[in-house]
Amino acid sequence: MEIVKDAVAGTLESSDALVRIGPSPEPGLHLTLESVVKAQFGEAIDQLARATLAQLGITQALIAIDDKGALACVLRARVQAAALRAAGKEPSEWSLPG
Amino acid sequence: MPVLFRRLFPGDERLTQLLPLLHQAGLRLEEDVEVMVVAYQQGRVVACGGLAGRVLKCIAIDPARRGEGLSLSLMTELITLAFERGRPELFLFTKPENHALFAASGFYPLAEVPGYLVLMENSPDRLRRHCARLRRQRQPGKRIGAIVMNANPFTLGHRWLVEQAAARCDWLHLLVVQEDASPFRYADRYPLIAQGTHGIRNLTLHPGSAYVISRATFPGYFLKDQGVVDICHSQIDLQLFRRYLAPALGITHRFVGTEPFCPLTAAYNRRMNALLAGPDGLWPPVEVVELPRLEVDGVPVSASRVRARLAAGDWDAVAALVPPTTLAFLQHAHRRETTPA
Repeated sequence: MEIVKDAVAGTLESSDALVRIGPSPEPGLHLTLESVVKAQFGEAIDQLARATLAQLGITQALIAIDDKGALACVLRARVQAAALRAAGKEPSEWSLPG
Repeated sequence: MPVLFRRLFPGDERLTQLLPLLHQAGLRLEEDVEVMVVAYQQGRVVACGGLAGRVLKCIAIDPARRGEGLSLSLMTELITLAFERGRPELFLFTKPENHALFAASGFYPLAEVPGYLVLMENSPDRLRRHCARLRRQRQPGKRIGAIVMNANPFTLGHRWLVEQAAARCDWLHLLVVQEDASPFRYADRYPLIAQGTHGIRNLTLHPGSAYVISRATFPGYFLKDQGVVDICHSQIDLQLFRRYLAPALGITHRFVGTEPFCPLTAAYNRRMNALLAGPDGLWPPVEVVELPRLEVDGVPVSASRVRARLAAGDWDAVAALVPPTTLAFLQHAHRRETTPA
């Protein structure tokens, strides 16, 4: 899947995450992360975001995550939503296995 | 108590309800705000924030309700709104004491006037990445010059300035102001600059960016008609130049034309000398070189003079002040404007 525009999903509220995804001029996933639990879970969040994007077949994108303590399922949902919006996909195409 | 968010557009009489809250925060409702996001609780305004281009402004929270929750909800609404309008790259100005609030919303400081103003953007590394791209365009030499140019439109005076600067340097970088706030749009100004500087070999033309005299980083520059000499904003703009853009390109000298007419630009040039050449920690100084303007009939050539002659329909005067490429563009634009549809 190709990222064609900038998109956002989620909020800055406690237990949620604001995820922004947009096109990147270079190959690869360039991810910046801020989290209220960065020391404890920073790496786990990074890995989860990358895994979600890999599952969607996204290999080139700029991603910014502002995490306010979201659970993994919430993070995954926000990353997926932002990615699909950034790829210009219709809601009916939003079925991610697992 | 649930908070209700509403978007208000210019002309909506409910905007008057925001004035006390803004006034309390030392702010006023600025003219270029396109949308105001307002938070209501039990029918009362508890927070508001506005979007003007790529800039978030007029952000105020009721002090009685201050705290992470409400302000983050407001920032979410503003960021989402900006994304809906295709503006993911955002800036804001705020007082340094409010810096923590916006840091929690994903904004990072770029430049600060201690005690007065801090410019922030919603990325930890966008400016750094911009500079990395600039770094790839470095050229070898001891004297590397820079000109920041609006060229509204490009005149013989601009050509003269570029020629003189290029002759005094090993290489010259010409940074074009991107903002579409002037009478001539960037899409027209840039090609005129490119055509007008054709033949100067040690020259790189750089497309504009938000980091050089833009509405985002130097709003005062675009309020000339109101006579606003914006000291703080010019300091931020020059700080960005000295600490980020100049080191990326290896700039040693910045060239400007002497400013005979516009008080705001003249004041900016003076500040430029103080802030670029003066002491600033470990940042290498950039020498500011003021070059006397080209004169035609004993009067300096400037874009404002060309615009005045154009408005008066004095095509003979215009032709004496601009290169053929600019003249052709102006005549064509005039024909299009005056030809009945």
